[in-house]
Amino acid sequence: MSKILNIEEPNGLVIISTQGYFNKDLGEEIQKTITDFINKGTRSFILNLSQSNIVNSIGASIIIEVIESLQEVDGDLAFCELAPIVKKTFKIMGLTKYCKTFSSQSEALEALS
Amino acid sequence: MSDLSEIHFVLSKKKSLKGKILSLDNFFEHKNISFKIFYTSKIFSKRFELEDYSYVKNFDFNKLFGNESFKLIKQKELSYLNQYDEFQFKINSVCSIIYFYKKPVGIICLFSEVELKENILTFTQFLSYHFDSIIRQFHIQSKLTNKTLSLQNKLLEIESIFNITELLNSHEENSKELYQNILLYTISTLNASKGLILLKNTNSDFYEIITSIGINEDQLNKKMIRDTKGILKDLKSSKKSIIINDTDQCVLSDFSESNCLSSPILSRNNLHGAIIIHDKESRQGYTLFDHFDLRLFDNITKKISLSFDNILLFESLSESKKSIDNIMSSISTGIIKINILGEIDYINSSASKVFGFDSELIIGNHYFIVFENNQNLNSIIEKSENEKEIVFETNFDILDFKNKKHQINLTISPVFDENNENSGVVLSFEDLSGINKVKSTFKKYVSENIVNELLKNENLLELGGSEKDVCILFADIRGFTSLSEKMEASKVVYVLNNYFQSMIDVIFKYNGTLDKIIGDELMVLYGVPLKNENDCQNAVNSAIDMFKALEVFNNKMKSEELPELGIGVGINFGKVVSGNIGSDQQMNYTVIGDNVNLAARLCSSAKAGEIIISKSVFEKLTNKHEFTNRDPIMVKGKALAIENWSFHS
Repeated sequence: MSKILNIEEPNGLVIISTQGYFNKDLGEEIQKTITDFINKGTRSFILNLSQSNIVNSIGASIIIEVIESLQEVDGDLAFCELAPIVKKTFKIMGLTKYCKTFSSQSEALEALS
Repeated sequence: MSDLSEIHFVLSKKKSLKGKILSLDNFFEHKNISFKIFYTSKIFSKRFELEDYSYVKNFDFNKLFGNESFKLIKQKELSYLNQYDEFQFKINSVCSIIYFYKKPVGIICLFSEVELKENILTFTQFLSYHFDSIIRQFHIQSKLTNKTLSLQNKLLEIESIFNITELLNSHEENSKELYQNILLYTISTLNASKGLILLKNTNSDFYEIITSIGINEDQLNKKMIRDTKGILKDLKSSKKSIIINDTDQCVLSDFSESNCLSSPILSRNNLHGAIIIHDKESRQGYTLFDHFDLRLFDNITKKISLSFDNILLFESLSESKKSIDNIMSSISTGIIKINILGEIDYINSSASKVFGFDSELIIGNHYFIVFENNQNLNSIIEKSENEKEIVFETNFDILDFKNKKHQINLTISPVFDENNENSGVVLSFEDLSGINKVKSTFKKYVSENIVNELLKNENLLELGGSEKDVCILFADIRGFTSLSEKMEASKVVYVLNNYFQSMIDVIFKYNGTLDKIIGDELMVLYGVPLKNENDCQNAVNSAIDMFKALEVFNNKMKSEELPELGIGVGINFGKVVSGNIGSDQQMNYTVIGDNVNLAARLCSSAKAGEIIISKSVFEKLTNKHEFTNRDPIMVKGKALAIENWSFHS
């Protein structure tokens, strides 16, 4: 139902694209993937959620944990192509204060590279 | 820097309680002071992540400390403390209680062989107070974080209700997309991991899955789902949202790992479907939906149910309206509904056609404006409105939008609502121009009697291709070609028109149908489109009368110094194929076949003043004595000679 669709590694950063309901399972899958990349030395991540048009609060709270672990290593996370409802949820949960959001992946890539 | 200031500095550098304790460990180690911390409440240790530190079960604070909050350990206390393996204290250790809102939750112990006893006492006291304050601060912060999280969740719930309301308001029809979005919003709001929406198939009474998330829909769709058992039975009887804890009792929930929330979709208080969501997610794994979740779920699903009912009602209204519109537009009667304010509420396509109106433009306008060039019509509408009585008008003249005159048979009836209050008038009318057009068109080909019969009963008219018994008459002017060559064209036309008019009058008198005029030849049918009792006798009578009419015509021609005419007639009876024959550009109702050709051949062999009939005609005549048998004749296309009878005028 929900999964990581694609992982790209352009210009030393990692772009993770997802599909489906952004819940605990998908959140944890993302968290594990990002943790593995952090351990390998990657510090910049882009989450492309264009195909995840809904998120629950558990999914959002896992992203908060991911942001915390990235802050400890001076890394950063950006979102792109957020559905309005996902954007609103992230805003309410306070995520957008710590992460930039971009309307397209290319915009995010340009800003973070 | 004094030691206390140093301790304060060490404590302020770290944010977490665990971090502070670790820093203190380091600090005291450098000072050769033994520092130990114990806790006596597991909840406390868990909250502040102190699981790595010693836990002392059933510690009796009163026995060690009495009414004091700190103690210098002597031999007496040591024997008590040493019953716990965790305590390895020496005499002259200083212990202090860690409080959490006045409740003792742990102990701090300091011991030094080098440091002054007074200093150790001061450090212990300072740390005790400090920890009390830190723990309180942490607790408040933690409560604040939880409250913030809870408020964020509430805000998300409110947002979800707004979103679902918005979603439902933006759809006027049930669609898979709408249900998908409803389910997505519902499961995300309640942190469910999966869910489905079922709707009843009204034909079979089985429930079908309309949309699902995280469920093997194909597997479930193979099962027969009815409201006679399981969750749907419960929803049907309770008609309210319920928590399902016995999930393995129903096919709709046996794949759940914790519990489910289910809610009915009601239409007019009857179960029409259900929303079921499964397995609430938490950071630690699946957890149980509780009554707070049920309340929120119920709130959301009630909106969906209400909207579903509205959508069904709207669909049913649209269906009824469509059905009425179809009926109204298929009838030839013009219908116009005028409301109590005198505004046009409805006009059907027949009425629009007669008046030449664009219905969209006139709806909502007052009839005084709409019918401004039909003052008579306005007057009788007003009369019906005022007197609240039905008004009939026959052959009533109206002008259409382009001021073209139409004749209608009009009825104006006042309309009353369910409270018997007048709610306007309805105009219903038949356009007579159409009927008149049919009459005038057909009158050229058939007698008025036949037209009237056809108008009375359209079923008699079969214009499709079919085989029929028909009597065919051909009448041809003898020697007309050579005659016309000697005459002026205008005179030829004049003579022919007068001749045809005389003949057609006779033909129609005997209910003949003028099939066609080919040059100077007439082809007439008896028995189509309407069958008469004796079509052959009618044809023969027509032919005999045609000679009488020709005599009158010839007298007229003679008086006008124009040439007299002589005609020959051939009549045959038999099966022919009748129908509309031709192309899209020109199509005529006619008959074809061998029997038509034979009638034409008989006409060719008839001399002027002679009628030649075939055997099939002769046998059907009631007045046979007027005809004499002739020698059989050979005609083109027939192998055998044709028997025939003749009549001489």
